[in-house]
Amino acid sequence: MNFSYNWLQSFFKKKLPKPEKLAELLTMHSFEVAEVKKFNRDWILDIDILPNRGPDSFSCLGIAREISTLTGFKYIADKYELKEDKGIKARDFINVEVRDKTACSRYTARVITEVKVGFSPKWMRERLEACGLKPINNIVDVANYVMLETGQPLHAFDGEKLQDRKIIVRFAKEGEKIITLDEERYRLEKEMLVITDAKKPVAIAGIKGGKPPEIDLKTKIVVLESANFNPRVIRRASKRIDLKTDASWRFEHGIDPNLTEFAINRATLLIQEIAGGRIAQGLIDFYPGKVFPKRVKLDLDYVTSLLGIKISHQEIIAILKSLGFKIKHLKSKIIEVEVPTFRLDVSIPEDLIEEIGRIHGYQEIPAQFPVAALIPPKRNLDIFWENLSGGILKEAGFTEAYNYSFISEKDREIFRYSKRELMEVENPTSLDFQYLRPSLIPNLLKNIEKNFRDFAEIKIFELGKIFHHPKTEKKVLSGVMSGEVFYETKGTIDLLLNKLGVSNIWFDEYRPKPGENKLSIWQPKKCAEIKINHEKIGFLGEISPKILDSLKVAIKVSAFDIDFEKLSKLTSEEHEYRPISRFPSAVRDIAILVPREVKVAQVLNKIYDTGKKLVRDVDLFDIYEGGELPAGKKNLAFHIIYQAEDRTMTSEEIDGLQKKIISALEKNRTWQVRQ
Amino acid sequence: MPKINLKKLKIEAKKGIKKARDLKSLNEVFNRYLGKRQGELVRILRSLEKLPKRKRAKIGEEANKLKDFIKQKIEVKAEKMRLIEASPEKTEWLDVTIPGKKPLLGHLHPLTQVKRKTEEIFENMGFSVVEGPEIETEWYNFDALNIPKDHPARDVWDTFWLKNNRVKLLLRTHTSPVQVRYMEKNNPPLRIIVPGRVFRREATDASHEINFYHLEGLMIDKDISAANFKAIIQDFYREFFGKPLKIRFIPSFFPFVEPGFQVDISCLNCQGRGCSACQQSGWLEMMGAGMVHPNVLKNSGLNPKFWQGFAFGMGIERLVMMKYKINDIRLFYGGDLRFLKQF
Repeated sequence: MNFSYNWLQSFFKKKLPKPEKLAELLTMHSFEVAEVKKFNRDWILDIDILPNRGPDSFSCLGIAREISTLTGFKYIADKYELKEDKGIKARDFINVEVRDKTACSRYTARVITEVKVGFSPKWMRERLEACGLKPINNIVDVANYVMLETGQPLHAFDGEKLQDRKIIVRFAKEGEKIITLDEERYRLEKEMLVITDAKKPVAIAGIKGGKPPEIDLKTKIVVLESANFNPRVIRRASKRIDLKTDASWRFEHGIDPNLTEFAINRATLLIQEIAGGRIAQGLIDFYPGKVFPKRVKLDLDYVTSLLGIKISHQEIIAILKSLGFKIKHLKSKIIEVEVPTFRLDVSIPEDLIEEIGRIHGYQEIPAQFPVAALIPPKRNLDIFWENLSGGILKEAGFTEAYNYSFISEKDREIFRYSKRELMEVENPTSLDFQYLRPSLIPNLLKNIEKNFRDFAEIKIFELGKIFHHPKTEKKVLSGVMSGEVFYETKGTIDLLLNKLGVSNIWFDEYRPKPGENKLSIWQPKKCAEIKINHEKIGFLGEISPKILDSLKVAIKVSAFDIDFEKLSKLTSEEHEYRPISRFPSAVRDIAILVPREVKVAQVLNKIYDTGKKLVRDVDLFDIYEGGELPAGKKNLAFHIIYQAEDRTMTSEEIDGLQKKIISALEKNRTWQVRQ
Repeated sequence: MPKINLKKLKIEAKKGIKKARDLKSLNEVFNRYLGKRQGELVRILRSLEKLPKRKRAKIGEEANKLKDFIKQKIEVKAEKMRLIEASPEKTEWLDVTIPGKKPLLGHLHPLTQVKRKTEEIFENMGFSVVEGPEIETEWYNFDALNIPKDHPARDVWDTFWLKNNRVKLLLRTHTSPVQVRYMEKNNPPLRIIVPGRVFRREATDASHEINFYHLEGLMIDKDISAANFKAIIQDFYREFFGKPLKIRFIPSFFPFVEPGFQVDISCLNCQGRGCSACQQSGWLEMMGAGMVHPNVLKNSGLNPKFWQGFAFGMGIERLVMMKYKINDIRLFYGGDLRFLKQF
């Protein structure tokens, strides 16, 4: 918010510190001053007033009060003595009726007759412009000027244009219409507060005045309004019609109801000074529940305990007094503080401690380590496993990506997610971010699209949350690899899971249950479920060409997708060293001709089952089909590594075992071992 | 018949052998003198037929001596050369200036790296790392944190709301809800940090994203003060940036703390003298913090009469951007390997 330095100076007899110096004082103790800039013969201070201080500080007076506390200079706050004209009575010109005292806790009005509408004086126009307001005419300008000065929004009506001399404050009727001063048309709703005359709305309360009773050059009778509206009511209406004004902004932060009278008197006096006229006798004042100062008890030891710095009792009291608080001593270390009604933000001891701390100076607070029990932090296993997994994938050559938590409507169509399974954002910033991601894969594939022209080999992973309707979120670990690399992907998973201490990993062919749509992402028959024991923990495979095509990815891609929450329950930090046998191992090769549909795992199982512990390892080193082989057959070639833990195996023993394995394999008539 | 000058020939041949730099040029010398057809000595020997017998015998003898002499000289030199040329230093030669072949390396995202570092520093100071849900209720994200409905304070947190739910749900705008969730289930004394993804409904630009990372901190005990917070956070920044720096608090407002501070550190670039990085102020705004508001303690089931403490919240992206001098927050979520592979 912009403040004029000269205007602030006008509250003080003493010369204020230079603008830059003043800005620094305010920044360190009150509000950050974002900028100080020269404006004609003035300076503008752009002050970021904290939202809780709006009620007392959205005004020159408020800032002057702060400056007074910070500099010790007294500020001038006049009491305005009006000369009312006893010959005319305000109530003869206007009749105010407030129908909802919660929405409007106070309504004051004054009447000035025989005014001369025209330009306002130069000094006033300059100050308005310095603060970013456009001068209009002397009546409207005074209303705005007093708002900037005191923080109380005011509104001026042309008294002769108010039907039946009535002002009614009530909630609007559904569908009622109003044309505002800036000639905008609004349709009103039931929860919006309006000011009406006997017939029609003449203002949207606290937000914007209406066109009909506008002040113009012919206006003779001015009815001034200075009211206090409920912040929530104003805020809701202002949001609903999407109209924020200097007035609505002040009202929604809350204003001291006791301010209306001070402000209206100030404005009335100014109007008379500038536009002449007679002030009708009587302040019209609807104020059923007068607000009195709050009292807060403050334990002075608590001040020290919370701030961590010792401030003397005298200084505490001096600070509070300088801010306008009144002090009553109760016990030696407990005081009762009376809070002025304009400090809407202060209601508990901590609020007072903040006042004491900032005025004393936060920079005075020393850095002092706490005295606390030496409790070691709890180890977060989720994060431990995450870090470990990320590290393993990094070692395996993967680069980590962070993608948006959102997908677009177009993505939804490409990946064929049904709307029912997704969580939809009610107010997305763009169509690209309409749903919460139900999988990390869509955005990872987009990463491939972005990079495949620049990089020959791509391996990317991401660890993050995915979301499903109605409100589930789940941590998953997914990765993508460029190329036709199903087995590399599978090898990566093996490596990852082994390193995480998971055993019993196996890969199962995917058998879709009715209604499952996994296959729209994956290439049918080139994908598998990742299982640990009997639990499904993920999926891997090649991405369907159709999907790649829709995403304009011109290369093949394999991917994996792991439920990280399930996985981290199955991981284990235990890792037992397996002794390396002191005895030599021997290798025998075996080649076997089997029907094409036979899986390698079937053959392997047979070998291990027959060889038991003496078969240390089996290596598949060749798969061959076609050529001279009989149709429908494939040749698998293995190295079998024999080793005993307690002796050197003799070649007879090895040959015998090898024979046993061969005959076990050949029990299946369609399998044929070639030696 | 040319005059046969064997002396001159000998001198020339010796010169030729001496000059030969490799086996090939040595071979040329051999051919020139001893070559079967064109070799000078062969020619001389052949031409002897025409000479008188006595002379023939004499010159023949001398020529044959010379022939042996040259042969032997060449043999010796050739042997030397063979040794040199066969040595590994000569044959197995590498151009060491050719760029090396790099193995495909993986990379962790800079946010992960910095997140880990912050966790490590706080864990060393006794803070446990805690996480919470990204989908939140209005209660935990706002009300419990003393941010009432229809209050302008809420405007600070532009919120993404979720559709079609009986309970109104939102994407958390900060990790502060975890403070309340944690205090509900754990008794003080407690010290936690909460890293995690948060969401704001904002227009994206170089310094704004719709999702980003926060690190929240909370310490609750009997007698925890703003001075304690200053010590801890100063230590954190010194450790993180690896250089001495100063901390200052300036007044700020967050509904869930009272008093509230903005925490600035002395500019890393100019050590507080004022430069373009800090807009000449000498200070960099780092985060919001304060003493936990009694209402938040109450809402979490703790009695503010017995417990007090501080809370703070910072953006992790800001730390990463300062650490690596990155000027656009959108790079973190762009998935561009040219960016990611630099870390």
